[in-house]
Amino acid sequence: MSDDTSLMEYLAKGGKLSSPDNAPSRYRAELMRQMASFVDSEMAGAAGFADCINNGPGITERIAASRIVLEKFDHAKRVLKLMGEFGANIERYEIIHPWAARVGREEDLGAKRQAGDMRLNVFHYPLEGWEDAVAMNVLMGYATIIQLADLSNSSYQPLAEAFHDILPSERRHAELGEEGVVKIVKSGRAARERIAVSFDYWRPRAAASFGGAGSPRFDLLRKMGLRHESNRALRDAWENKIDRFIAATL
Amino acid sequence: MAQFYPLRVTDIKQETRDSVVVTLEPSPKHKEDFSFIQGQYLTFRHTFEGEELRRSYSICAGRDEGVLRIGIKKVEDGWFSSWANEELKTGDTLEAMKPMGNFHAPLRPNAAHRYLGFAGGSGITPLISIIRTVLAAEPQSTFSLVYANRSANSIMFREELEDLKNAYMGRFNITHILESESDIDLFSGRLTREKCDALFGRWVNVDGADLVFICGPELMMLAVADALKARGLDDSRIKFELFASAHPGKAKKSAASIRGAASDETCSATVILDGVRREFKMPKQGQSVLEAALAADLDAPFACQAGVCSTCRAKIIEGEAEMEANYALEDYEVERGYVLTCQCHPLSDKIVIDYDQ
Repeated sequence: MSDDTSLMEYLAKGGKLSSPDNAPSRYRAELMRQMASFVDSEMAGAAGFADCINNGPGITERIAASRIVLEKFDHAKRVLKLMGEFGANIERYEIIHPWAARVGREEDLGAKRQAGDMRLNVFHYPLEGWEDAVAMNVLMGYATIIQLADLSNSSYQPLAEAFHDILPSERRHAELGEEGVVKIVKSGRAARERIAVSFDYWRPRAAASFGGAGSPRFDLLRKMGLRHESNRALRDAWENKIDRFIAATL
Repeated sequence: MAQFYPLRVTDIKQETRDSVVVTLEPSPKHKEDFSFIQGQYLTFRHTFEGEELRRSYSICAGRDEGVLRIGIKKVEDGWFSSWANEELKTGDTLEAMKPMGNFHAPLRPNAAHRYLGFAGGSGITPLISIIRTVLAAEPQSTFSLVYANRSANSIMFREELEDLKNAYMGRFNITHILESESDIDLFSGRLTREKCDALFGRWVNVDGADLVFICGPELMMLAVADALKARGLDDSRIKFELFASAHPGKAKKSAASIRGAASDETCSATVILDGVRREFKMPKQGQSVLEAALAADLDAPFACQAGVCSTCRAKIIEGEAEMEANYALEDYEVERGYVLTCQCHPLSDKIVIDYDQ
């Protein structure tokens, strides 16, 4: 006979769940939180990036930016649907937060979650111009890929599958960003300097999206099978990737 | 909000001594709503002694059969399953939500997949739906089923599985494992890790399987998954479904609502989170229970803070509270004492709220 305790043991041993009915309360809450963080980040990211489409220097760049916006909204929709299966009110959810709202460029939010929606803090800062948007897209593109790869092993199988399906298109978004950087660098010294400044601005903010080392929540999430690699390990993998990219490109 | 639709019971078949297969028919208007994907389940609601209870049961029909059937195995102390086994009759109406569930893979008519299935007891119900559908829709695919039961007379769908074996000769095979009554050691006992290792080495060919479906009790699923992984199958090829009767479905008594005299404007709040109790004082107005818990350094779960997402759901164990807004919890959850803590303010002088339930 199952109860929440034996289900938690099952999860700690690597068991998977496939329907909301079987989710113990604490598991449900942490899973919802994770999904909300992803949905809100995609919604806020897409809303912020949408404003940059017209800054794209040519039609190719604008198509790339439009595609990223479209697909990020689609990713949010897919995960929001799973939240709906747990009882979230989807229609209302889509409109409760001002997704395009941003704080001042120089404000320091640190890593502490802001009131309002659950977007990662990096999505609270405003983009300034095309080079800035491209730099942020590369940095968060890689962060998203690394974070989603970990979440693709989620003990909640429908979410693991959703992230597994979303991952290739997030990878493509990062590649589009890379192509954008290469083009900007080739376009002249002034643009190259501008994007170097943007990388410096966004890098610590994107790094903070990995969360702190030794977070007690991480231990809980790992026991539930909702996380696997530590925040530190994921962040290190990202730093390496970014170091290599910047050394090769800028 | 979840919507329920009436389904008429058109047939009840006693499948084993303690299980029934119920055939259901939606009204013509909602026929489309009940077209399902193999491996999905239906969630029913029924009121027992004044309290609404919801239970999910897997659909056991194939997608091509054009009928809606569910299997219900009686669980000890299970109100809904006992009622369905003992009192439900043809002509009755059940209320169910549209089919849900993600225990399936896309069908590819031209594929030649090799599927494996592991079922424990009533865990067979979604699998038989998958097996029927896959064999009909993918003419070149094969399916091997390992099916564990206590004894021969507790095997659900025994005849149906034999019929499938005959109809799809060479494409479908079954290995029965019985806790007792089997003369051959390999096929007797429980489906443990050791049993799986023995089966995989000598009887069931796991290598190169495209997709594996496992449905049964937790320990069985873990044992099978571990053994599969040891044979080199990665997680993405293994689909799990905890069987529908994993939860007994005994109605819990709703939280007693003890109305305390509202003597002052503060409330003594106790919050239970991850098994730890914390007490703090909070104002009855101007701060939600969630905000007060966070201010007391409790890592309470939340997301939208607008009464929409339900991440912050918790249960009131003692005391009384009201919600400013609720767009996510359903009436039956509220009746049981659940609240959205981001919208919740205490009315009584003392309140105990549990995030673990």
